[in-house]
Amino acid sequence: MANQLAFYFDVARCTGCKACQVACQDKHDLPADMRWRRVAEYSGGEWVRNPDGTYAQNVFAYYVSVACNHCEKPICEEVCPASAITKRDDGIVLIDEDKCIGCRYCEWSCPYAAPQYNEDKGTMSKCTLCVDYVDAGQLPACVAACPSRALEVGELSELRAKYGDLAEVAPLPEAKLTEPAFVIKPSAKTKPVWAKEGQLANPEEI
Amino acid sequence: MDVRDWALIAFTILSQMAVGSFIILGIVYFFAARKWGEEQADRLSDRALLAIGPVLILGTLASLFHLGNPVNAYRAISNLGSSWLSREILSDVLFIVVGAIFAFMQWRKISTSATRNIVALVAAAIGVVLVFSMSRIYMLRTTPAWDTIATPISFFTTTFLLGALAVGAAYVANYAYIQRKEPGCADVQCEILRAALRGLALASVALVGVHLIVLPLYVAYLSASDVAAANNAVNILMDDYSLVFALRLVLVFVGAGILGVFLYRNASSPGREKIMSNLAYAAFAVVLVAEVMGRFLFYAMQTRIGL
Repeated sequence: MANQLAFYFDVARCTGCKACQVACQDKHDLPADMRWRRVAEYSGGEWVRNPDGTYAQNVFAYYVSVACNHCEKPICEEVCPASAITKRDDGIVLIDEDKCIGCRYCEWSCPYAAPQYNEDKGTMSKCTLCVDYVDAGQLPACVAACPSRALEVGELSELRAKYGDLAEVAPLPEAKLTEPAFVIKPSAKTKPVWAKEGQLANPEEI
Repeated sequence: MDVRDWALIAFTILSQMAVGSFIILGIVYFFAARKWGEEQADRLSDRALLAIGPVLILGTLASLFHLGNPVNAYRAISNLGSSWLSREILSDVLFIVVGAIFAFMQWRKISTSATRNIVALVAAAIGVVLVFSMSRIYMLRTTPAWDTIATPISFFTTTFLLGALAVGAAYVANYAYIQRKEPGCADVQCEILRAALRGLALASVALVGVHLIVLPLYVAYLSASDVAAANNAVNILMDDYSLVFALRLVLVFVGAGILGVFLYRNASSPGREKIMSNLAYAAFAVVLVAEVMGRFLFYAMQTRIGL
């Protein structure tokens, strides 16, 4: 059994098609306005004056597909007053809806907006890393659905050995806050965390 | 802002007012009993003490409206090891229980006054833990506008400011009642009332000073931060809610500062009980509105790091 399962995301491969997000909504039968996995679009750029007086543009845009990062230091689990959030031995962070009191404190605390409130049930919900599929030896729905193979799932230490240990890029928060089990392979245009040259282009979709 | 947010404003303001009132009432009682004797101090305080109960219960009930799944509310104390929210709810419940035990003992004059004092001190200490836990809830490392020392300072300032002025208003109401029911002791009570209101007026002037020093420093600190979420919180305060913010500052200054000075002056010489009483009511009402606005702004400034 894995010690810490993690998602891997390749920025250069993602086309922003949101098949991962929709596959997740379908697998978990989520309402249309609830997105356990979201695809953030970070873009920016402007006209830059060259030394010879001509202008060139440095426009850029890229996507970051993010769900729950099943953090090594999950702030949601730390703050949940009802002990409804637990971390399994394989690192998967789960919300027990039967124990949840619906105070939304986890939603306040998580810098990835992973815990989301279900108005109908009055309880919190979030990405389970498709724990039933994982237990059956299958891939999570989002990973299986990605047409460009931008997503992978695996043991965190193995993914880091293979792809490096980057876990923070704009517009994500600093990794030190919650130590996300997330490995990101940046593209040439990917900006560092706290970059000021771009902005989240689709806040309404997050 | 929906019902859930107003539930938190009501809960935090009412329970802080209850804790502040309990402690201020105890301090005034200590001095009053030393100078005028326990019997007179009891007459001054006992009805005000009983009035704290409904305020506290109302606040705690309001907190349930914040929950999406209130049938599980009993589970809120399940994570005392790491959740300040659990610690807050436990101290809230303990404050209600120990406070109620003390109020009952004091009302029926059960046991000795020394024993009752110990129970009161325990309740007061739990009340301090309650307000401290409440402030720590908001000091999340992912919410820089809340994660500052200004959160506990302003929570405690609100606690004692509302406590002092609520107690002042309660004394005045109690005095009006005594004048009708037991005219015999009204003269001594009037003297105690004037002395107590002078002390409370001084306290409220000092506490509004704390607010007016901390708030500008806090805004300057957030503005100078290189974390975008902190700057955004300032923009919310200064752009979206500038009018509410200005009104909140003016009202707290008028209610606790200006009315506080007038209250002190009118409580200094006998024969001005009528205007003194009205000032005590007005100061409490104005500051209550100002503090509710302040708490509204506190929640409005919630800006989280990340997505």
